[in-house]
Amino acid sequence: MSSMSLWFSFTFVVIALLLSMWQKLGLEKEIAIGTVRCAVQLLAIGYVLQFVFHTDHPIYQALVIAMMIGVASWNASRRGDGLPGILWRVTASLTVTATLTMSLLLVLGLIKPTPQYLIPITGMIIGNSMIVAGLFLSHMKRETETARGEIEALLCLGANKKQAIHGVLKRAVKASMIPTFDTMKTIGLVQLPGTMTGMIIAGANPLEAVRYQILIMFAFSSSAAISAALISALAYSSWFTRESMLRP
Amino acid sequence: MASVLSLEHLGKQLPTQQHTWLFSDITVDIASPEITLIMGKSGQGKSTLLRLLGLLDTADDGTIRHLGKTPTEWGPEKWRMSVSYVAQQPVMLPGSVEDNLRAVSRLHKRPFETELARTWMEAVGLGEMDWSKQAAQLSGGERQRVALVRSLLLHPTVLLLDEVTASLDTISKRATEELLVDLHRREGTTLLWITHDWEQARAVGQRIWFLAGGRLLEDSPADRFFEGPQTQEAQEFLSAHLVQKEDAPCLP
Repeated sequence: MSSMSLWFSFTFVVIALLLSMWQKLGLEKEIAIGTVRCAVQLLAIGYVLQFVFHTDHPIYQALVIAMMIGVASWNASRRGDGLPGILWRVTASLTVTATLTMSLLLVLGLIKPTPQYLIPITGMIIGNSMIVAGLFLSHMKRETETARGEIEALLCLGANKKQAIHGVLKRAVKASMIPTFDTMKTIGLVQLPGTMTGMIIAGANPLEAVRYQILIMFAFSSSAAISAALISALAYSSWFTRESMLRP
Repeated sequence: MASVLSLEHLGKQLPTQQHTWLFSDITVDIASPEITLIMGKSGQGKSTLLRLLGLLDTADDGTIRHLGKTPTEWGPEKWRMSVSYVAQQPVMLPGSVEDNLRAVSRLHKRPFETELARTWMEAVGLGEMDWSKQAAQLSGGERQRVALVRSLLLHPTVLLLDEVTASLDTISKRATEELLVDLHRREGTTLLWITHDWEQARAVGQRIWFLAGGRLLEDSPADRFFEGPQTQEAQEFLSAHLVQKEDAPCLP
């Protein structure tokens, strides 16, 4: 894709801007910020990846992955604003999820241990886990408020924190995993996902591209389950005080 | 022997206005098992006081002890098993009536006391209830009684009762009162009971705590409180009730 073509792609942003102005939606600032951030972030990561692939040094790969985990953890933990220690809990669950899933992919020989495979696939795993963790925290916040009476009734019967919040936790874990499995059910019928589309555009055989996409989707299912289980195990106590009282 | 429950300079601030006390400096002691009724106008913090004792809320000042030990020394779960709060608005756990009654047995891996549960359900007027019925379908009064029996199966030393008979008809109310008084006599359970029901207070109360103006103004034996309250606030409270009672229409 030439630089000229990239400039032409701004036509789509101009369409969005014009529609916003015409309909008086007041989204011009949002569209402008989104456009600049999207272009700058992607170009920056493009240069970073080019450098990392070129040098092929593990420390740079680790740094890129650490940055991904950092940004994803910060983003997901915002859903649990006000909960003590939520950032480190999300960071720990995303780190363990990425490590476990990637180790499994490497040990089973499903991907090659090169930065071209490791970085994009780890990024996708972390991205999916970030969505799961964010959804879990949002659901927990809402559910804990709705089920406050139920939790307190159980506490009054001598339940410990885990027993008292178990029902709410189960509902939140389930709700956070559903979108991943819903996507698996409709993939290929509704949307052609990123990996597959990218590979086909780059000239790969569609069947080869599909194989990789299946691999990614299956990896997503396990990473969604791992991250939901981890974040729920690490975060449920944040809803209670040290004296096992439900936070106001 | 250590007191069943002792409160030392207990205070709670209003959650919305810091440094404004809902109540403060409550120092009182329940030396041996008894039935204490907590009375006072609405908004004096009676429910909050029970919630503090049930470890559902944090006090902003003071300490509480049960049998000589603080909540930290007990551990929150052990404390709540011994000092159990029964809410004014009872919440049913998901599932059937039986699932609710079995909650204590399930949580603490104890055998379910089927006969005792049946006896107590009968005592509160729910002897005919189908235990397989979904708890969410129960009426307010039924929920209140199922929630009470659910807590009784814990065999707590202290029961914190927050207007637990408020939505019951007269017959069910009397039956529930009888069960609770009987429990106190047989098992020595201490009852700390909020009520706005005058007759109830006179019938079952051995001692009265009267809360007003953010203070525990009276802590007296029930007879003495009703015959000659010490404070002007309590006298006004009592006379307001008498006026209300005289004004009530007499039914033939």
